[in-house]
Amino acid sequence: MIARWFQRHQALILGTSSLIGIVGVWQALASLGVTNPFFVSSPALIADEFVVQLRNGTAAANLGASLYCFFLALGMATVVGVGLGLVSGWFRDFESALDPFIWFKYSAPTVAFYPLFIALLGYGAPTIIAIAFLFALTPIYANTLSGIKNVDRDLVRAAISFGARRIDVFFKVALPASVPIIVAGLRLGVGRALTGVVVAELFGATAGLGYSIAYYAQMFQTTPMMVSIVIVVLLGVILTQLLAFLEAKTDAWRREPTLR
Amino acid sequence: MGLEATPASTRRAPRRRPGAPRSLVIASTAVLLFLLLWQAAPPLGLVNGNYTSQPTLIFLAAVEVFRGDQLGHHTWISFSEFFLGFALAFAVSIPLGLLLGVSRTARYLLDPPLMALYIAPSLILLPIMIIWLGIGIASKIAVVFLGVIFPIIVNTMAGMHEADANLVRAARSFGAGPVDIFLRILIPGALPSILLGIRLGVGRGVLGVVVGELYVSQAGLGYQMTTYGSSMRIDRLLVYVLIISFFGYALTSFVRWLEGRVRNWKPA
Repeated sequence: MIARWFQRHQALILGTSSLIGIVGVWQALASLGVTNPFFVSSPALIADEFVVQLRNGTAAANLGASLYCFFLALGMATVVGVGLGLVSGWFRDFESALDPFIWFKYSAPTVAFYPLFIALLGYGAPTIIAIAFLFALTPIYANTLSGIKNVDRDLVRAAISFGARRIDVFFKVALPASVPIIVAGLRLGVGRALTGVVVAELFGATAGLGYSIAYYAQMFQTTPMMVSIVIVVLLGVILTQLLAFLEAKTDAWRREPTLR
Repeated sequence: MGLEATPASTRRAPRRRPGAPRSLVIASTAVLLFLLLWQAAPPLGLVNGNYTSQPTLIFLAAVEVFRGDQLGHHTWISFSEFFLGFALAFAVSIPLGLLLGVSRTARYLLDPPLMALYIAPSLILLPIMIIWLGIGIASKIAVVFLGVIFPIIVNTMAGMHEADANLVRAARSFGAGPVDIFLRILIPGALPSILLGIRLGVGRGVLGVVVGELYVSQAGLGYQMTTYGSSMRIDRLLVYVLIISFFGYALTSFVRWLEGRVRNWKPA
């Protein structure tokens, strides 16, 4: 009985126990004085600090500042990336013209431009949004482009032979068929935008999770820094789960009717 | 390929000049136009030249940088950081990924922490690495290591998981032992996925070196970027951006090339 229950929930049990194990070992090392809490902090200290930050609003303020930049950057990257991707997917010459710049964007270290952005846009949110926007743009653009380009040619041919115009093909065949791959691009974009926000905040920021990590690091206050790190990790997991859910949703409508 | 939706009979024959494909011509024209506009904009007062510099100035700066700016020294530092971090991550992640691919218990145990760290931007650990390891090259090696290790582990694990069950069954019925199956089916089958992980890791590793050096450092290509960025020498900053872009591009292309080789070698 217990064995079967264990079998069924093995993933959950083992996964949870490993997380508990990591926290336990970390705490034990700190309590026994093997590691110096000044450098590595300890789960108990982090939990206490977390409660303090929740009470006095520091955690909410940092999270709010980061989320504000994150959503603005992701929103802009989605509009621009999907827009450009659709146009390049449909007009081949436009894609060719854009290609070298996208290429450069792929390999250039965006963060290196931060002094330039600070000079142009000033310290704080605008610079962070610009960097996160550039981070998130490429996967969203690339996926939209490949979604439109790789639409099933048979579907297109079928639509044409039933009298669809080019514009009909675009709106009724190419666009709906690309939705799942565009959403997959969005999921990549979410991760990249989060990286962009946090990394940009390490440099030119006045608020936010990345800023607080850099700030506490300069003060050698490991515990509050760990609180922000934990929040970033949780945020990443939650956002990715949300997008995975959205991905399953947008893919669900197409799976049902095709009973292969 | 733009969707040429018109039926074949009425489709216009693509007019192509021999030798120069249309897309290449368009791409070079676009770049040329962009460079011309960039060159012309500051003198015409459209943008502030202090911020944007100009292609000719960047070319001159590139000559200066290559002549003497201790480019070799800084490149060597950045390269060592990348290479050491990458090699360490490679040595740890491949065996761990293979183990996780084979053992279900190990996978269940390590999946949640691994996924959380794979998703989270590993660069947030940069400040704490600097507290632990100092501002020298060790903290950058650690950041590269943390950036590279998770994509490789996760993709190696996934690759082992995707191995064709029929192949495994066939091998087993022909008397292959677990070791044979591991060496001859699972590892070759996982190779494309492992290379994908390596390619993702290379991107994160290069970003790690650059961000690590921009954050705090004493030498390296990122250090030079901070120096020129904070003194608004945009021309030289862009030269270094181009150098890093070139390295990033070359490394990624190399892994892509390997991926192509592996894909062609793989039957079907």
